Amino acid sequence: MKSKRFEVLAQRPVNQDGYVQEWPEVGLITMNSPFDPKPSIKIENGRVTELDGKKRADFDMLDTFIADHAINLDYAEEAMAIDSLEFARMLCDINVPRDEIVKYTTAMTPAKVTDILNKMNVLEMMMALTKMRPRLFPSNQAHVTNVKDQPVQIAADAAEAALRGFDELETTVGIVRYAPFNAMALMVGAQVGRPGILTQCAVEEATELLLGMRGFTAYAETVSVYGTEPVFIDGDDTPWSKSFLASCYASRGLKMRFTSGTGSEVQMGYAEGKSMLYLEARCQYVTKGAGVQGTQNGSVSCVGVPAAFPSGIRAILAENVIGAMLDMEVASSNDQTFTHSDLRRVARSLMQFVPGTDFLCSGYSAVPNYDNMFAGSNWDAEDYDDWNVIQRDLKIDGGLKPVSEEEVVAARNRAARVMQALFKELGLPEITDEEVEAATYAHGSKDMPDRTVVEDLKAAQGLLERKITGIDMVKALYRAGFEDVADSLFKITLQHVTGDYLHTSAILDKDFNVLSAVNCPNAYTGPMTGYVISDARWEEIKNIPKAVDPDSIK
Amino acid sequence: MNQEQMIQAVVKEVMASMGKAAAPTDGGVTQAQYPLGEKIPEKVFTPTGKNLNELTLDKVIKGEVTAEDVRISPQTLEMQAQVAESVKRDALAENMRRAAELIAVPDERLLEIYNALRPYRSSKEELYAIADELKGYGADKCAGFVREAADVYAARGRLKRD
Repeated sequence: MKSKRFEVLAQRPVNQDGYVQEWPEVGLITMNSPFDPKPSIKIENGRVTELDGKKRADFDMLDTFIADHAINLDYAEEAMAIDSLEFARMLCDINVPRDEIVKYTTAMTPAKVTDILNKMNVLEMMMALTKMRPRLFPSNQAHVTNVKDQPVQIAADAAEAALRGFDELETTVGIVRYAPFNAMALMVGAQVGRPGILTQCAVEEATELLLGMRGFTAYAETVSVYGTEPVFIDGDDTPWSKSFLASCYASRGLKMRFTSGTGSEVQMGYAEGKSMLYLEARCQYVTKGAGVQGTQNGSVSCVGVPAAFPSGIRAILAENVIGAMLDMEVASSNDQTFTHSDLRRVARSLMQFVPGTDFLCSGYSAVPNYDNMFAGSNWDAEDYDDWNVIQRDLKIDGGLKPVSEEEVVAARNRAARVMQALFKELGLPEITDEEVEAATYAHGSKDMPDRTVVEDLKAAQGLLERKITGIDMVKALYRAGFEDVADSLFKITLQHVTGDYLHTSAILDKDFNVLSAVNCPNAYTGPMTGYVISDARWEEIKNIPKAVDPDSIK
Repeated sequence: MNQEQMIQAVVKEVMASMGKAAAPTDGGVTQAQYPLGEKIPEKVFTPTGKNLNELTLDKVIKGEVTAEDVRISPQTLEMQAQVAESVKRDALAENMRRAAELIAVPDERLLEIYNALRPYRSSKEELYAIADELKGYGADKCAGFVREAADVYAARGRLKRD
């Protein structure tokens, strides 16, 4: 006989997911591996001669880079002498200020920081994260893509996402040569939804930089670093090339962050028998050493790997905490799909949702799952109301707000019309009224008419060949009669002149004020300190359209 | 003097003048002046010599402000580096100072140098030559950084394989 109970359980979504047992010797372990190096540092004549049990002569590329660029040697010996358990307790203690923690974490080694996190449970890590987040208040980022690379739809979805409260938007491409169209559509649509939104287009490193230089994007994030040398090399970079790339961005006044995540080394086959968290700690010290202001981490597109192992979701939270401990902006993933279970995907996100990170998702899919070109997201357009209700239930700020159908339809329509006019001004293939209408009311690309791909690709590449810049787009928008959108786009480009948004955790508000960890630093020291939801923001969060007014029932 | 030498001489001249202007006249800035665009716009200039206050939409439309004007200058990045230092972000400041040196390097060349720094792309001599080229731009920090990379690549077998 078969158990009917077990038959039912076997059908549950959670049992569609895959799970693996630990195998620490080969690196198939998320945290607390007996094979991780023991923390150590030796400094002779101002130079690191031993790092985490390894002599300089045995250093690989990452060890060398970390030893020479990432550790503040002034406090290193002091920091390493603090007992890891004692430090773990300091980290989640509201009486130890953030500055005091950063003084030591930026002077530690990757094995030390791993050893500290190994001693913490998720609740303690969440306490640490709420204290260590660099920016005073949390924020959110969305993905805006579609399987057709339909630029009108990208603009409309961007406008809606901006209206709903995301401060950063990211797109990518199905077909690489579409990149200039997608980037332009995202930037323009975003400004229609809410002026001051920062946008990016994830493509190959050199192309991504070029798009930034030309003013098609406002920042970059897809600049990956890895925790072992062979994987770094397989990624076709070194810590030095990536650091140089970071300086290239800053030289053009462009904001950027690096990306890394647990499980990438296992996925790419060279974990060197170390825990996923230790390797991720190395990534983040490389990021810090490169002088990059922030990190996108939390396993990101490798989430399926740690999620299959015990303590995997805890390790992902630990990654986020390390980024904040190193005083870097943290865009905390919650992006790629990793489970069939709605329960698991919510539990995974609460780790960041409750304490709040610089960007809770990186990103939340502002389109249906089938249109998400980052292999689907943990949160999709279908989940907008769930997200809003969770904010309301727990009185937490997840960056979004309830919106009305009327305002969304109006914003989508305007974004589509702006694109129509912009394409005409720049001599690009026509956007028809039918497309504008479809984009206004669409849920996804299944609701959109097809465009002529060959013609579009030629025109998209033509934008690069003609050396069209952000300033050309500003002029074209102005000529087309959308002076406010032209003005917004121009004010984004002014950030490349002042560089104010190059600082840690920077975003822009609707009046283009820069809000970063410099002028809005986190100051959490316990209840009713740090970021407290304002009355106005609470009104916004709690008044979901579905809520019935008790007066109407009486 | 051949054309290449002449260009190098001109670049040196420009870089020297940029270096002079970069020196803070009043003891530098801190987080108190941040955001610079809001607190001290009169001190923010483009590499083309325009003040931030002159950069208006109106002038863009009239063609008086071009894409060349909406770029960051070495002086501004130096100020931002000082802001970063004032909030104890030394590594970020260092990156900003390397970046300040790269402003004068043309876009295309910058992309080429980045690609040359990727694994197995360059010989040690080629990377050293890039370091020398960067020195010509007054980019001493970046030159040192590229030379450091060349030495690590040599030690780790990540140079171009013939």
